[in-house]
Amino acid sequence: MNPDVVAAIARLETEHVLSTGQAALFERVARRRLVSVRFEIRTLLYVGILLVTSGVGIVVAEHHRDIGALATAAAIAVATVACLSWVARHDAPFSWGEVESPHVAFDYVLLLGLMLFATELAYVETQFTVLGPRWPHHLLIVAVVYLLAAYRWDSRTVLGLGLSTLAAWRGLSIGLARGALAPRVAGDLRADAIALGALYVIAAALSVGLARKARFEEVFATAGLLLLLGGLVSGVLDERLAWGSWLIALLAVSAGVMWVAFRFARSLYFAAAVAAAYIGLVHLLFRLFPRGSQESIAFLLTALLGAAGLALIVRAHRVMVRR
Amino acid sequence: MKPLWVAWERAAEVREAARAWRRVGAIDEPTRMKIDELFPDPRIALSPVWRALTAGMVAAVTLALFSAFAIALGRGSAQIQVLLLLCAGMCLATTEALAASPRSARRGAVGALAFLGIGFLLAGLGLVLVESARLSFDDAIDVVLVVAMLTCGSAAWRWGSSFFAGVSGLALFCNLARLPHGRLLWLVAGTIVTGVAARQVDEGRRAPSHRRCAAVLIVVGIGAVYAAANVYSLDEQWLEQLARVVPPRDELPRGAMLLAPLATALIPPAVLAWGARSRRTFLLDTGIVLTALSLVTLRHYVHVAPLWIVLTLSGALIAVLTLAIERALRRAPDREIAGFTADPLFSDERRQHALHIAAVAETLTPAPPAPAVIPGLQAEAATSAEAARRRSSERRVAIAGDADEVPLGRMTPKIGDCTR
Repeated sequence: MNPDVVAAIARLETEHVLSTGQAALFERVARRRLVSVRFEIRTLLYVGILLVTSGVGIVVAEHHRDIGALATAAAIAVATVACLSWVARHDAPFSWGEVESPHVAFDYVLLLGLMLFATELAYVETQFTVLGPRWPHHLLIVAVVYLLAAYRWDSRTVLGLGLSTLAAWRGLSIGLARGALAPRVAGDLRADAIALGALYVIAAALSVGLARKARFEEVFATAGLLLLLGGLVSGVLDERLAWGSWLIALLAVSAGVMWVAFRFARSLYFAAAVAAAYIGLVHLLFRLFPRGSQESIAFLLTALLGAAGLALIVRAHRVMVRR
Repeated sequence: MKPLWVAWERAAEVREAARAWRRVGAIDEPTRMKIDELFPDPRIALSPVWRALTAGMVAAVTLALFSAFAIALGRGSAQIQVLLLLCAGMCLATTEALAASPRSARRGAVGALAFLGIGFLLAGLGLVLVESARLSFDDAIDVVLVVAMLTCGSAAWRWGSSFFAGVSGLALFCNLARLPHGRLLWLVAGTIVTGVAARQVDEGRRAPSHRRCAAVLIVVGIGAVYAAANVYSLDEQWLEQLARVVPPRDELPRGAMLLAPLATALIPPAVLAWGARSRRTFLLDTGIVLTALSLVTLRHYVHVAPLWIVLTLSGALIAVLTLAIERALRRAPDREIAGFTADPLFSDERRQHALHIAAVAETLTPAPPAPAVIPGLQAEAATSAEAARRRSSERRVAIAGDADEVPLGRMTPKIGDCTR
């Protein structure tokens, strides 16, 4: 029970701010006489799907020889088709706007079907080497299918998976996580990250600008900024590069992102840009005041820089709220 | 907690509920504005992103200042101890000042500074005990744990932070684990903490944040009881490893290994039953997690089938059972069974957002459902808009907005029915 809300409802009803019907329902919920378990249902469905895909993954990894390659591939294919057929049977007509999920399990069956599809493709590739030396391209196929499915069935989840698979195809998931790669490989990965990030950001802008799945903007932009700003920050922190040029690029991009985020009131993008710019500037301070006696000056200036950042955040928030 | 802060919190609860009602179209914008007017909360409330950003920057500034002074003063242990304790005092004093100011109380800085302040205090105290007072490592740990329990408990009490309530509870149980018969103490203390907190969780005299702290303590208490009773934890002597002196295995009480499997099997359904009876979803969630842990424990001792079969079948079973429950709720009269509904109600959206934020930046879980519109109330929203306008003109209060702005969404007949 929420006693404060219960008391407030009684007062609001007495003062005729709420009608009797409204007050009755709100009080029922506030007194916990009517409770929603939708969160629990969705979480359990998600956990169920994860367990099933984990089980299938173990079968494929450990027991495919006992079962036989063809039988394994056929079984996964049947399961994939079953899931996607169910989705096709229950789906709503396509729309560029938001499409309401027709069933509570819809998103999860779609997710299961697509994950099984990816497993199937990976299994077929490892067993029958269809693509030969160009085997990483199977990730591109998976990503394209995910993206098409995301648009067809209006799923931000699948879109997120598609974007991360596309990034994985470019080798990003491994490359940027480990810094111990050869300089050339790391440089290529960074360039790919920046290019892909920029592409995602453009896709986010187009989604909103053209009103084509505008709700995908957040997914595109978040993934894009993560790659774009992450790539630039990695360039600044790389000792082997001309970090000054990278810093200028980082600050310019961060300033641009902050301006756009400020104009369109997107707090998450603003936060990402502030954090990236701060990391870049702190790196500059520690370059200017290297280890030794001057290190404390670097820390002091870092604190001052942080205070300036705080002032900027407070000011930006105030203006955004006022607008 | 100051009475003024409690009043602000109570108003914030009502305003938040009104926002949730507005989100699903159950009230119109003028009514929501009217509620805001009747329940004023002068604090500036930031969204989670702004709060996280502010907290991050405040933490960066504080840590950078600490590092600058630590380097400038030299790296001697005595200087660091003094600096840590000074920083702790300054952080906690600043937290108190910020919490009292409506402009800064909900900006994120309070949480960051309180966390750093207590962190500095415990680190400083630990260093003082080990380096200056020459206490043994074990004694120092005991003292630090007691101080952690007390300071976190005080922080939870003063600033209403459920995070500190949880940490305080954990510190209490860590303290108990270091005593002889720690497992028994966990069982007893866990039951007491759960019982005491359960009496406070709906208590109207408590501040809303203190009620949330009580809910966290219930979960901590149940977790402690389960950890002490779980057969695997007993078998592996997990809690005994935390004690100052690890007892030999044969010192376990007789019958413990017989009772533990029973407790492992019975505690999760008991928690689920409590959750269902009291209609508290956090208890249901705790029960679900404990059930999963008990099943994993069972699988550890009883190899019913290969892992892949267990995973696939349990996943399928969970999905089928969940769908069956959802279907039963959806098809039940008034779309509810024993006060439970599968429809998203007003209080759900925030938790759903939290789930999506946690799940790898919204890439691994589906998006939250579109907010439900309540047909009966939608009509009433229009009526109440009209009424609000009338009242507003009478009181010469300008209220803008129109009920036609209510978004269209999925129908929820049950809720509509109950309002007619």
